[in-house]
Amino acid sequence: MSRKKLSTSKNTQKVKREGDPIPWRYCLLTLVCGLILVGGFFFAARQHFSSIDYGIKNSQLKKQKDELETAQRQLLLAKEYALSPASIKKVAKEFGFTEVAASVESLYTDTKKTTEKPKVEKKSDTKTPDKNPAVVSQKDEKKNDKKIAETSDSKNKKGV
Amino acid sequence: MANLAKKSKKNPKQIAFTRFMLIVAFFVLWIGGIGARLVHLQINQHEDLRGKALNQRRDKFTEKQLRGTIYDRDDHPLAMSVKVKSLVADPSEIENIDSTAKQIAKVLNVKPELILKPLKEGKERNKRFVFLARKLDESAVKNINDAFETADLKKNDLPKFAGLHWREEQKRTYTQGANLGSVIGFSNAEDVGSAGIEQSQETHLHGAIIKTWRDRDRYGRVYDEEEVEREEPKDVVLTISRSIQYKVEQALAKGVKASNAKSGIAIAMNPKTGEILAMANYPSFDPNRYNEFPQETYTNRAVQSMYAPGSVFKIIAFGGALNEGLIQSNGEINCGSGVIKMNGRNDIVDKHCHQTITYTDALAVSSNYATIKTAQLLGNERFFDYSQRFGFGTTTGIELPAEARGTVHSPKNWNSDSLASMSIGYEVNVTALQAISAYSAIANNGVRVTPHLIKEIRQDGKVISTTEAESNTVMTVETAKSLRRMLEKVVQSGTAKRAKLNGFTSAGKTGTAWKYSETLKKYDENKYVSSFIGFAPAENPEIVIAVVVDEPQGGARDGGQVSAPIFREIAESVLPELNVKPDANIKNETASDEEIPTETEATTVKTDKKAVGNKKTEVKKEEKESSTQKPKETATQKPKIETKNKSSGK
Repeated sequence: MSRKKLSTSKNTQKVKREGDPIPWRYCLLTLVCGLILVGGFFFAARQHFSSIDYGIKNSQLKKQKDELETAQRQLLLAKEYALSPASIKKVAKEFGFTEVAASVESLYTDTKKTTEKPKVEKKSDTKTPDKNPAVVSQKDEKKNDKKIAETSDSKNKKGV
Repeated sequence: MANLAKKSKKNPKQIAFTRFMLIVAFFVLWIGGIGARLVHLQINQHEDLRGKALNQRRDKFTEKQLRGTIYDRDDHPLAMSVKVKSLVADPSEIENIDSTAKQIAKVLNVKPELILKPLKEGKERNKRFVFLARKLDESAVKNINDAFETADLKKNDLPKFAGLHWREEQKRTYTQGANLGSVIGFSNAEDVGSAGIEQSQETHLHGAIIKTWRDRDRYGRVYDEEEVEREEPKDVVLTISRSIQYKVEQALAKGVKASNAKSGIAIAMNPKTGEILAMANYPSFDPNRYNEFPQETYTNRAVQSMYAPGSVFKIIAFGGALNEGLIQSNGEINCGSGVIKMNGRNDIVDKHCHQTITYTDALAVSSNYATIKTAQLLGNERFFDYSQRFGFGTTTGIELPAEARGTVHSPKNWNSDSLASMSIGYEVNVTALQAISAYSAIANNGVRVTPHLIKEIRQDGKVISTTEAESNTVMTVETAKSLRRMLEKVVQSGTAKRAKLNGFTSAGKTGTAWKYSETLKKYDENKYVSSFIGFAPAENPEIVIAVVVDEPQGGARDGGQVSAPIFREIAESVLPELNVKPDANIKNETASDEEIPTETEATTVKTDKKAVGNKKTEVKKEEKESSTQKPKETATQKPKIETKNKSSGK
């Protein structure tokens, strides 16, 4: 029985199988998925560090707000000190004001001054001839005006 | 041979496969091991590891909130806390204690020993916390931060100096200084209320603790926090008006100094609402520096000190008798010889009243005879009942600590002289607040409204509670009106002429009593308590003012001369502020000393030796005359009171 000799040549051609191309689609898909995954990791990391960053800024702003509130309270306190009667009295003394005892008269007679109109006294010192009172000479008018001015001046001087 | 060939053909593949599977198995084991470890860590040790991670980055932060603010009725802060910083040191972080101490002392402007000693002690005892300077203001903090700036030091907090840190505290500030000191009180170094409103309202005012979880990074910076617990402190709004308080304080201080007195009390109150508009004590203390003042000044004498009221107490007898219909205000009393026989041992002779006199005039001249006779008409039980109705012998319930109840003994403990003594204001002890509360009943048409200091309580700007004062009817409206007219006569022509106001009518009663001495066990005739309690305007009162001066010295000592002028000064400055319209003529002249009778009503009362309750008291009855009155006084001449101690049997 003879054996068939097998060819020992190494002329083995690459056998192209049908239906066996390079799976570019799968590679692409794998690549895309991988990119998405990696991208997702980067995104998550960025979110994480951003949130920490915002958290730090937030706490700094809170601290700043507390400091401003403290400053506001201190200013309010300083204002109340300045407005207290004892402080006002002290400052008034420094400016040379003197304290006047509260008196009811001063509080109520002042209002009377502003509401009262100055009374004009009509004094007829000179004897006037019987005239029609509706007719007043110019001279008489000037005299009356002068008298009115004099009486009002004297009243102002008295402080009425 | 063929089998061998076959085997040799199979072996390489199988070998390769086997090797491949070995590698796979190795990787499977490796990854499996890692996976198992992960499962162990993530699931079995989850809680433990989570706890450790949290401990590393998270800490619980507790902070005390600022103490609540106390406001006056017009929303002006009277007591307020602000955040301040205290410099603390960690001695373990400081390498060279001596040079550091010198540096710190130089910046703080203190002696180096004051810094060196605590640092050394802290280092020796391994303390991690030592106070160096407490409660510094902003400018001092800035100076220290600038002075201790170390550029190359990596430190998260200020000051940038190894071992030094700031600790936040709070500082309580009282904007009115010594004014209102005894009313508001103070809070101590631990921010706990220790006197006055600060103490009584501690539960509302105390700064609650905020608990917060904080996440920190490796540099210690906070990036996340969560509040777990927070309770806002409450703010207290008082009925006090700071401007009225100031006026009252000034007038009281002036009056007490003028009479060389030991101390004084003044209270101003709205009779219709029971609101205390001002409460002053002289001397007082500044709560901002409370440790510089003696402890006696912390006492709010207006509510804590008791005294024998003297003639101010006569309203019980007259008010009770009027209300019971036993007397009329224009009714007359015949004093006869002006002698009241008291148990045959101690007689009272009232020379003011040796004729027929109306009850109005009797009260105006403060006749003891008429008062005692009126009280006897009323009787023991009714007299005691009216004294209770007027609020004596019980606390008012005011929102201040340690209020005294006063002493009004029950009739079953009285002796034969007690009614007489009590009717003229002895054998009783009252507080100034009780006295003003009683007179406010007269001013308010017979209804006594409970005095109170707190208007409302707020939290976060919202009102959470408002005080609703209780009231009780003491007498009828007609009785109150009659009493007001009688008290007005006291001011017009009686012992209280110095209480006459410019532009307003006023009414009230003087009181001058000897003080009981615990050491002498009797009333001391050298020591007086002079008081005046009045209201204005007389017909429709808007304010009641009580002035009590303790131990005026030298010169006039009676209530009409010492306390009434203080009342006048207060009333004339306060009534316009309350927008009360004048109801009397405005006069330019003020009553001169010569026109005002100087009359001392002081009497010491001697009782027999029967025990009053468990207490033996010996009180001497004497009269005192002080006479500078001119002949052309009022129609009702100033009577002189004389008491004679007759032997027993008469």
